[in-house]
Amino acid sequence: MTALDHSAETARRPREARRPARPGGAGRRAERRRAAVGFSMALPPVLVISLFVGLPVVLAVAFSLGVTGGLNRTAAVIGQDVHSADGLLTTAAYEQLFADPRFPRDLAATVLVTVVTTLVVLGLATGIAVLLRLRGGWAATLLSGLAVVPLFIPVVIASWAILTFYSADGFLRSLFAQVGLQAPVLGFTVTGVIIASVWVNLPFALLMAASGMQAIPDALIDAARDAGAGTLRIVTRVLVPLAGIPLVIAGTFTAIGVLGQFTVPYFTGPNAPQQLGVDISKYFQSFNQPQQAAAIAVVVFVIASGVAATYVWANFRSAKQEGRV
Amino acid sequence: MAAGTTRRSTGGTILLTVLVLLVAVFILGPLLWLAVHAFATRWRYPNLLPDGLTLDWWRVVFAEPELFGAMQNTLFFAPVTVLLSAVICLPAAYAFSRFSFPGRRLFLIGLFATNAFPKMGLFVAMATVFYGLRLMETALGIVIVHVIGTVVFMTWIPAAAFSSVPRSLEEAARDAGAGRLRVFLTVTLPLALPGILVAAVMSFLASFDEAQGTYLVGAPSYMTMPTEMYSLVLNYPKQVAAVFAILLSIPSVVLLLLTRRYIMGGHLAEGFQIR
Repeated sequence: MTALDHSAETARRPREARRPARPGGAGRRAERRRAAVGFSMALPPVLVISLFVGLPVVLAVAFSLGVTGGLNRTAAVIGQDVHSADGLLTTAAYEQLFADPRFPRDLAATVLVTVVTTLVVLGLATGIAVLLRLRGGWAATLLSGLAVVPLFIPVVIASWAILTFYSADGFLRSLFAQVGLQAPVLGFTVTGVIIASVWVNLPFALLMAASGMQAIPDALIDAARDAGAGTLRIVTRVLVPLAGIPLVIAGTFTAIGVLGQFTVPYFTGPNAPQQLGVDISKYFQSFNQPQQAAAIAVVVFVIASGVAATYVWANFRSAKQEGRV
Repeated sequence: MAAGTTRRSTGGTILLTVLVLLVAVFILGPLLWLAVHAFATRWRYPNLLPDGLTLDWWRVVFAEPELFGAMQNTLFFAPVTVLLSAVICLPAAYAFSRFSFPGRRLFLIGLFATNAFPKMGLFVAMATVFYGLRLMETALGIVIVHVIGTVVFMTWIPAAAFSSVPRSLEEAARDAGAGRLRVFLTVTLPLALPGILVAAVMSFLASFDEAQGTYLVGAPSYMTMPTEMYSLVLNYPKQVAAVFAILLSIPSVVLLLLTRRYIMGGHLAEGFQIR
């Protein structure tokens, strides 16, 4: 398995030729100068992100733990139920959150939506990618063309369109009513959030899965077939494992995106249980509890970081197999 | 044997056709349902078609100066975002691809890690910094919010594009006597251009799509089309929001038709694998 993995990866991208190491002081100085040039070229986006994302995130984490001085002072003065730390830190804001029975319910609903959406998206993307790889033809082309459409539709519009499509007077219920059947109302339900999330996240996952499977050499598939493997076996033992890294990437991006999303549940979701992305805005704007809003953001961040770690791990593993590290 | 194969492929074709139809309804259904609303006089449940067709809703939208202003704002912010993001990120993308320096991998992962913090929480926290820097309700503040959403696309995808240009080609050009800049402009850049184009399109769409941060930082002085869409859905008849939705989708769909080949070609997917 590892050997196969390795050969496919190498076949995909030929390794870059390493610059020959030049011995001697002059060569080392040139190396160092190149490193300095590269470093300074890479700096601008890193600085922008540090100032406008890194700093706010650090502030928010500190604020949620009771650090209410410094730049957090304004929010602490305006906000209600702000807990200041007597000593270094306090978890009072988190305790208050979890003491409210609504919050654990919202958290559970968010995790449920994330898990189901990620699984459905990966399943659909893998299915279409397998079809493209093994069968091709008009159906596969049409399917992949269709599945990439959501990439180009603004999420606001997608969410609203899906809400009207599945609402009480929407298409689905109208269609069923034609033959005298009652279809369920999916607008403003957790199922509605899942449907919309799958819709929004399908293109990226499909692009990753398709590119991963296209990179698998024909020879491997033919060899498996010659050895008597059926289609199902080829899919589960050759295609999916060899496209593992792109699939992991697709899964992590989907999961992270769904965990913190706001627009989709804001339009299509129920009032209770609510998704955490909507909760953040609700606690901040409606309840005027900025510290609790920050605490929810940190909870999402912790879960998302766990998912993100998988992504980084998968990338490093593939990098190691290629001998790039 | 032959009959068996035929039967299997006929069954397969029927199954595939059903699958394609289901996916088509799932993906396109909501969009079509919405689009017809933009031309509908009245629509009563459970009819599958509206009572009549009209263009009145389009006149309503174009007569609202606010909505028109939002369109102008959007068409200003999106290109400015892409340009600024390109200036900040493309040199970095080249460096990530062609130089080895301390912190390279940490930088790449750090840029990705920004995605893990929920956007809504980030914007709420960002407001603190923006108040301090007097960026609230300024065009620059909105541009910063938009650029932040594009950094991952603008560094990763072009970095992968630069990496896919074979060094041997560059070295051959160097051997033939071309200078560094000339090699970059005549060999590296043209070959990496499709990847950069995909990054630009993704950045344009990200800026075009951004609503939460823009609303928090810009409202009510600067409204863009997505932020207007939020209030439209709540305050206007369905048909007006439908017209606005169509207008908001036009630039994206045009971009889709122009760049579909490159995006489907794997440039997007390649960009998301850390080297």
